[in-house]
Amino acid sequence: MKVDSLFSPKAVFVSDAIDSTAVLKEVSENLLQQDLVKADFFTEIAKREADYPTGIDTSPIAKELPNIAVPHTEGEFVNTRLVIPVALKSTVGFKNMIAPDQELPVKFLFMILNNDPEGQANILAQIMDFLRLTSVSKLQELFSLTDPDKIYQFLSEYFKQ
Amino acid sequence: MSREVKFIAACGAGVNSSHQIKDAVEEEMKKRGYNVKVDAYMVKDVNEELLSHYDGYLTIAKTDLSFTPKIPLIDAGAILYRIPTMAKPVYDNVEKVVKEINAK
Repeated sequence: MKVDSLFSPKAVFVSDAIDSTAVLKEVSENLLQQDLVKADFFTEIAKREADYPTGIDTSPIAKELPNIAVPHTEGEFVNTRLVIPVALKSTVGFKNMIAPDQELPVKFLFMILNNDPEGQANILAQIMDFLRLTSVSKLQELFSLTDPDKIYQFLSEYFKQ
Repeated sequence: MSREVKFIAACGAGVNSSHQIKDAVEEEMKKRGYNVKVDAYMVKDVNEELLSHYDGYLTIAKTDLSFTPKIPLIDAGAILYRIPTMAKPVYDNVEKVVKEINAK
């Protein structure tokens, strides 16, 4: 793993959760065990998702792509700067970030842990560039993976940092 | 160069979306020859007093504020996609506000 990599092989998940709170809880508990987040992280990220949702409708990028969400909370509740990929076996409803009254079926999460929002390139911008600049067929390959190691390898190869 | 025109961008955590909008709007307005500064905030910290220090408010979602802002609101969520054709109308709206301020 590169020193500054945005991904960690131990922090890639495949979840069969059926709602957004359940998947956030499952992932948060694991991240806490790895000391990547602070004890309040789950409470904070769940509250943030309810008040200011993070679902992204990918149809402006390509109609064939499933929707994603980018759950995150303030830097004070995290201990690192990482993107946590979470593949969802079934779609899970997340509200649309730019139109919160709309619920989107979401197939993949890029959870953002960012304890340094000022210092470096914007992680959300990097995620959006990854979706925009990677071919649709490659992205469909990523979104169909159900093995965390393969997801990690894919992102290490194709996600430009 | 004309006077600095100040915008606020706000999102839930004040880290990702608002910073992305800040960077994009500052860069594009510089390209267009304007002196624009954007500050990123958490939505919960946005109040009437804070907005009184700004010329415009770049919003990400339709957020219910408990007051009616006196400064122009610009729906800037489309910038997040980083697709030039989606971002252009937002930049054009920002430029319109900047031109109005500069004309005063």
